[in-house]
Amino acid sequence: MQEFIQTIVNGLQTGSLYALIALGYTMVYGILKLLNFAHGDVYMVGAYIGYFVIHWFGGPTALSIPVPLLILIMFALASTGCGLLGVAMERFAYRPLRDAPRIAPLITALGISFVLENTVLLLFGGFTRSYQTESFISATSGIHLGGVTINIVEIMVIVVSVAMMFGLRQIVHRTTLGKSMRAVASDREAAEMLGINVNRTIALTFFIGSAMAGVAGVMSGLAFDQITNTIGFLAGLKAFTAAVVGGIGSIAGAMIGGIVIGLAEAFSLSYISTKYADLIVFGILIVTMLVRPQGIFGRPLLQKV
Amino acid sequence: MKRIITAAVTLAALTAAGCGSSSNTTSTATHKAAGASTSCSASIAIEGPFTGPVAQVGLEQLHFAQLAVANDNAANKTNVVLNQDDTQLTPSMAVSKTQAIIASPAVAVVGPAGSQEVQAVGPLFGRAGVAFITGSATLPALTTSGKNPTFFRAVPNDNIQGPQDANYIVNHLKPKAVLVIDDNEAYSQGLVKTMIPIFQKAGIKVNHQTLNGTDTGATLANAISSLVSSQLTPTETVTVLPWQAAANAQTFGLDVKQQHKTTTLFGTDGTNSPSQFKIPGSYVSNFGPDISTSTSTLDKSLVSGVAKFGPYGSFGVPTYAATDVLMQAISSVCKAGQSPSRSNVLAAVKKTNIPAAATPMAAVIAFQPNGDLVDHPGYLFHIDSAGKYAQIPNK
Repeated sequence: MQEFIQTIVNGLQTGSLYALIALGYTMVYGILKLLNFAHGDVYMVGAYIGYFVIHWFGGPTALSIPVPLLILIMFALASTGCGLLGVAMERFAYRPLRDAPRIAPLITALGISFVLENTVLLLFGGFTRSYQTESFISATSGIHLGGVTINIVEIMVIVVSVAMMFGLRQIVHRTTLGKSMRAVASDREAAEMLGINVNRTIALTFFIGSAMAGVAGVMSGLAFDQITNTIGFLAGLKAFTAAVVGGIGSIAGAMIGGIVIGLAEAFSLSYISTKYADLIVFGILIVTMLVRPQGIFGRPLLQKV
Repeated sequence: MKRIITAAVTLAALTAAGCGSSSNTTSTATHKAAGASTSCSASIAIEGPFTGPVAQVGLEQLHFAQLAVANDNAANKTNVVLNQDDTQLTPSMAVSKTQAIIASPAVAVVGPAGSQEVQAVGPLFGRAGVAFITGSATLPALTTSGKNPTFFRAVPNDNIQGPQDANYIVNHLKPKAVLVIDDNEAYSQGLVKTMIPIFQKAGIKVNHQTLNGTDTGATLANAISSLVSSQLTPTETVTVLPWQAAANAQTFGLDVKQQHKTTTLFGTDGTNSPSQFKIPGSYVSNFGPDISTSTSTLDKSLVSGVAKFGPYGSFGVPTYAATDVLMQAISSVCKAGQSPSRSNVLAAVKKTNIPAAATPMAAVIAFQPNGDLVDHPGYLFHIDSAGKYAQIPNK
């Protein structure tokens, strides 16, 4: 029972992070039909911003401010920094290619991914850096359930992720910006004719998606302790898998897809083998593509002939 | 023409002057020519993981190798240049860097760091007749397969380290069952292969699992947490982690604590990092001694020489010894009136016999015909309640 609960907790925690990253994939795909493979690296940049904030305030063992305030500042700076990074990527790399064949921005996205990874490598080195979360947040305090401690960081990851997903859903469905986003996603030219500032809407979409990835990066550092310049690659691929499984372009799909992939990974690791977890996760992607290509919440693509 | 020659000589002299630099840049493509300011000039290369997940190991090795080159150049009046080749502990990168080294004037090589890398580059160096000596690759097959004829190591192999560790666990920690987790790499699996028969012979139940050591971030953390929750039982009072990334062992230890389980962690040289793995009560074996409290003049000079680079583990000292072997070989070639070449340096390395008092390894450095050390002890550390490493007898 203890193992089962721990597996559920691990799966929900990881799945929440995958879902946050997957939302960025799905928003950008929904609005531009672009698979932004650099998105995982934005998450990595968020993790580094969080790391440097900790050290800015004295380091993990000698913090000069209260922990809740520290975490708020980490979230604020990572989301702002990553949001601006996303806007810059859109403005300088993707916008010039908006009317180019689809392969061009896709290759550009892969290129940006390498640029981000290697820029961080050059600037900060390839060391595994540690948040040393246990130095300022106890690993054993939290909710005790069936012999398992669900610690404060795990609770925070799940709660913050769900809150952000819910907030995004509200933005998309209940605000003018959300209406603009849906209009641009539906028909960019028609939206422009109706007076919607398409460039601004797309830039804001990148900002929101990247900001969420930044927060996910900080939470990843707090939860898993270690960060390197390569953590975005695998996380990005899994989040992409989550977006596809949930139905790329669907916000609810990204959320559910993330949780499904997180739980599948956790159960594979615990009950099958640590060696085959990736095989199983990416196997789910292949099966989804074969059985239901539009994903759980996606709509079948109708083509006029 | 004269101006070009003057410029070339100046450039070479500047290059030589920078060989002991403390820079930790990982310039890889340029293999500098040897300087010409003294009669005994040569260039050697070092292959190591200067970036990537185990960069702390590679940089430590680099700093100690640079120190060895500087010390030996001064002592032997040689002018040896050390070029750096970053392999990130990956065989594919090591092969690419090795091809560049073979095409360069380098007469010998320090490294690479990982056994899997040596397996990949050994035949290449063998065909080119380049002596290469590692300070950390310990897989026994590297010297028994016959595929690496120019390979040497300044550390004992896993057939020595693995059994020593296993016997210590059997005799001192006395578990009824052990959890052994390899990280799916040649180094880790090699050690496990030598330890498990000893546990089984002692009647200890072995639960052998594998972690995918190439995973990162959430997947890696999830995998470690799952191993703790699904595999670690109360009877397994000792968990053996022969991993290459010390930070992963730390994560394992924290997960054990979070899940309210108890086990004594026993790591091997890959986890030997006082700054990254510091779970109180754990043990870490290594192929290098702790020189931080030594009273010998050489050890004191090494400690002060690398102090500016921050904390270091036990990877540096064996790499210092490995570099020293090459430097002594080059010096002996020059003393015999020859110019250093790959063949005469290789021959000189085979004849190495450095007394215990002249090396920080505190043991004679001499090689068997297959490149293994003639004799060498292992080293063991216990992590105290403050997370500090203390060297203890390993018998």
